[in-house]
Amino acid sequence: MLLSVFKKSKRLIRPVGIILLLGLSQAVWAAGPPEPSAFSNPLAITFIILIVLLLIIIGILANVLLGAADIKVRKNKKSSAPTVIGSMVILLLLSCGSLFAQVGAFKAETTVSTASTVGGMAASAFYVMASVIFLELILIIILLINIRFLLKLEKEKVETSIIKIQTAAERKSRLSWWDKFNKFRPVTQESELDLGHDYDGIRELNNRLPPWWIYGFYLTIIIAGIYFWRYHVSHTAPSSKEEFEISMTNGDRKVEQYLKMKGDNVDENTVTLLTGAEDIAAGKAIFNNPQNCITCHREDAGGNVGPNLTDDYWLYGGNIKEIFKIIKYGTNKGMRSWKDDLSAKQMAQVAGYIKSLHGTNPLNPKEHQGELYNEEPIAKPAGDSIKTLNDSMKVNNNKVVMN
Amino acid sequence: MQVEKFYYDNKIVKAFGFATIVFGIVGMLAGLWAAIQIYYPEISLNFAPTTFGRLRPLHTNAIIFAFVGNATFAGVYYSLQRLCKARMYSDKLSWIHFWGWQAIIATAAITLLLGKTTGKEYAELEWPIDIAITLVWVVFGINMFGTILKRREKHLYVAIWFYIATWVTVALLHIVNSIEIPVSFMKSYSWYAGVQDALVQWWYGHNAVAFFLTTPVLGLMYYFLPKAANRPVYSYRLSIIHFWALIFIYIWAGPHHLLYTALPDWAQSLGVVFSIMLIAPSWGGMLNGLFTLRGAWDKVREDPVLKFMVVAITCYGMATFEGPMLSLKSVNAISHFTDWTIAHVHIGGLGWNGFMAFAILYYLIPKMWSTNLYSRKLATNHFWLGTIGIIIYAVPMYWAGFEQSLSWKAFTPEGQLKFTFLQTVINIKPLYILRSIGGFLYLVGAFFMVYNLYKTIRRGKFVPDEAAEAAPLVKVAAKKREYWHRIIERRPLTMLVLSLIVVAIGGLIELIPTFLVKSNIPTIASVHPYTPLELQGRDIYIREGCYTCHSQMVRPFRDEVKRYGEYSKAGEFVYDHPFQWGSKRTGPDLAREGGKQTDAWHYTHMYDPRLMSPGSLMPRYIWLLDDALDTASTPAKIRAMQTMGVPYPEGYDKIANVELMHQADSIAANLKKDKIETSSNKEIVALIAYLQRMGRDIKAEPKQAITENR
Repeated sequence: MLLSVFKKSKRLIRPVGIILLLGLSQAVWAAGPPEPSAFSNPLAITFIILIVLLLIIIGILANVLLGAADIKVRKNKKSSAPTVIGSMVILLLLSCGSLFAQVGAFKAETTVSTASTVGGMAASAFYVMASVIFLELILIIILLINIRFLLKLEKEKVETSIIKIQTAAERKSRLSWWDKFNKFRPVTQESELDLGHDYDGIRELNNRLPPWWIYGFYLTIIIAGIYFWRYHVSHTAPSSKEEFEISMTNGDRKVEQYLKMKGDNVDENTVTLLTGAEDIAAGKAIFNNPQNCITCHREDAGGNVGPNLTDDYWLYGGNIKEIFKIIKYGTNKGMRSWKDDLSAKQMAQVAGYIKSLHGTNPLNPKEHQGELYNEEPIAKPAGDSIKTLNDSMKVNNNKVVMN
Repeated sequence: MQVEKFYYDNKIVKAFGFATIVFGIVGMLAGLWAAIQIYYPEISLNFAPTTFGRLRPLHTNAIIFAFVGNATFAGVYYSLQRLCKARMYSDKLSWIHFWGWQAIIATAAITLLLGKTTGKEYAELEWPIDIAITLVWVVFGINMFGTILKRREKHLYVAIWFYIATWVTVALLHIVNSIEIPVSFMKSYSWYAGVQDALVQWWYGHNAVAFFLTTPVLGLMYYFLPKAANRPVYSYRLSIIHFWALIFIYIWAGPHHLLYTALPDWAQSLGVVFSIMLIAPSWGGMLNGLFTLRGAWDKVREDPVLKFMVVAITCYGMATFEGPMLSLKSVNAISHFTDWTIAHVHIGGLGWNGFMAFAILYYLIPKMWSTNLYSRKLATNHFWLGTIGIIIYAVPMYWAGFEQSLSWKAFTPEGQLKFTFLQTVINIKPLYILRSIGGFLYLVGAFFMVYNLYKTIRRGKFVPDEAAEAAPLVKVAAKKREYWHRIIERRPLTMLVLSLIVVAIGGLIELIPTFLVKSNIPTIASVHPYTPLELQGRDIYIREGCYTCHSQMVRPFRDEVKRYGEYSKAGEFVYDHPFQWGSKRTGPDLAREGGKQTDAWHYTHMYDPRLMSPGSLMPRYIWLLDDALDTASTPAKIRAMQTMGVPYPEGYDKIANVELMHQADSIAANLKKDKIETSSNKEIVALIAYLQRMGRDIKAEPKQAITENR
């Protein structure tokens, strides 16, 4: 009965192996031409490759364990006494089997969740994959412990010479996959392979190339050919520039959808003065971040490299829309653009906070700069002044560039 | 047949062996110092020669050319004599080679610390040293071929194939990449500019790894592993196939260092596909090494030499599998410019090269002093310290690379970048600390070795000339049906020529079209040559080794365009002699730095980076504020640029300094507005001029034209 169980499980190994190989090839393929699927996420690809590699290791270890257990059981049969070992092996196998099943389940889940999240890697997918890897590592450790345990028993037995003859055939059957894998000839037949070369005592054998090595070499050549064909002959894979444009469009679309959903898409034409305590506090927090405004304007906004923001004089206008615009696009006089660091809402909050500082009269302020501004908005159309800004920037550029 | 008696020269091996130990320690110390600077900038001592930008080239050059170089020469001089059954061709040449090489190393160390650099990674040495390297290399070649030609062994063993390929390819790489135009005794400009310079440099840089750190060391493995294990080499056939495939394919793979850059896509793809095909040939060496140990694994448990070799070969296998994986565009998009690359090279450097060098030393010194190793236990402890050191070094660096890259690419749902650059660096600071601990352990292990070898030497007696006998080589008519490769093995010159042809193919196919086909580098009308002040500033940028931490290459990724600006175009770099794209971002990319910050910001930032960006890891550059700019060199620099086709008007060299002072004055005036008083002839002014110029040309281009030029 036991034997049949083993035969079954051995039969199982092969399909599993084929599936693993398929999985591997898929991962390799995914690494080549990036397509807008979960496989285009490099992290996901790395994870999948790792998962598959670990699965292969598990497969190999399981095979070794089964082989070892097989020997053990046969021996037990010979001694015709179902001992502790027998039951133990069954236990081990059962635990292995269930773990295998678990891995399978997780794998299925992974594919489902990655399929539902196109593009970036969703948190759920990440954690699922990470836990799969973790689980696989545990499995490998369990397998190693089991193998070690079996081998140890073996050793003890040999030492106590309960079984005197450990037949060579049996040992061979346990390790044969490795020998077969590499087309090894037994070390004892070495003399037949000796080429008779002798260089300062170094001899050379004429062993065959490991088949997996040579076929692997052919495979990489084929992959290389397909890769080059797809990128430069059939153009079915995107060039660097196309890839860039795709990622920009996707990114922009996602942001747009998000903002639409959230209702946070103010710009310099639609921004209004925020006066709520929460907004002012948020604005203050951003302003006071050591990376942000205070480097140039000081914590009390009295001005340093940048101008004083609490007085009545403004270089580019003191209207909320104008302040927002300067935060967003910067100036050519040193103020940088913040639109890539702050969201529209955050910039509106900062602008609101700045307006709230008006008249706070900090100590040692920077001298007045710009024109006197009174809260009587003479808002120029926003588009025009941006254009002037850009024009003046160009002039500045040309000055630096030598002709 | 009369048997001849002769003596192997052990003295030269001893000399190279000692040099290996000394420079190994020096190189590792420099590395450790540089590693600590990354999280503790004050340890730069605020002294120009010991800042990261100058220490890092010292570290890489010392490890590659002084440590591994000397180890290779020691191993080659030992094994070549025995494999050829002949003393070295000329003792005089041996010693010229030895002292020449050590003089080059000493000069290199001094000049690099003084900031005399070409600014091209692993080829930083200035033109007089480049010429010296060429001469010494030729001396080595003559000595090696002389020995091979007077050999008493009919066929060349596989180790010698690797030595020959190494010699011819390194010569080719060094000469082509070092074509530069001298400006003064210790200053030159690369002949190539921008994209072309980048391609030549990484063709060289990648193959310096291949032909200085891999093929010679594989050759050494083929000699010392079978000797130490006393086992026959596993497969002669594998040797042949993996040797030829390796040297043919390796040379093509250089462009994988330039993925997603302004290099034309076709060249990038060649780099990718040849890297993929490189896996098997690289692994051929590993397999032949490890399978040779079949039936000798019990010895590995005992013998420290074999222990080191097994881990070295395993590291070689890991690094050569990882390399092709890093060449896949989707992986490279994450790994490039991060510490992942650093982890990868140190698996190779610490694991493969370092451990092979240690193994060879542990093998050679007891042999040449005809005694046994002083303490096997100490060597085993060295082995474990080294191995643990590698792990503690590499794992945090992989982690750091991964974490930082993902942070760079992280967006908020509002479409903003989630982290500032500085945050991503500060987040990985603990990992930098761990890494230096790993490096420290490795270094401690090396000191164990020094002590152990010292004790071994003390109890042995050196054999300067080792007696040997062999019959002279007589011409016998070839056997009828000889294996085809045996014929090549009998003919060293055929071997040399074939190797040269095989390695030249890949280089030629990649380099020539990039130089000749104009469409590879579309011109941009608004890109102008640097002003004299900017040119001087750029030379300061190169001198201080800014490229060791800052890239100048915005890749076409959403996050990079968002963070830095428009991605870099090939046409922007046509006047960059040399290119400064960099390979690592410990600091942010600077390709679009111009106009982002005020002059005052840069001034203060150079005085103390932490005043402007708290938490920054950048060293202080106080001397730039005090030192006067050397304007005497301006005319010569302009003339050199004109020679290389940079379109300055005729006679411009004479008025260059007038324009330089004019621009410097305007910057000084600008600084004065922000309450910074500086005279306009300081180096900082030139550097600010360069920083403010970077990446601005293209902004002056009408939008339409940029799109067309894409």
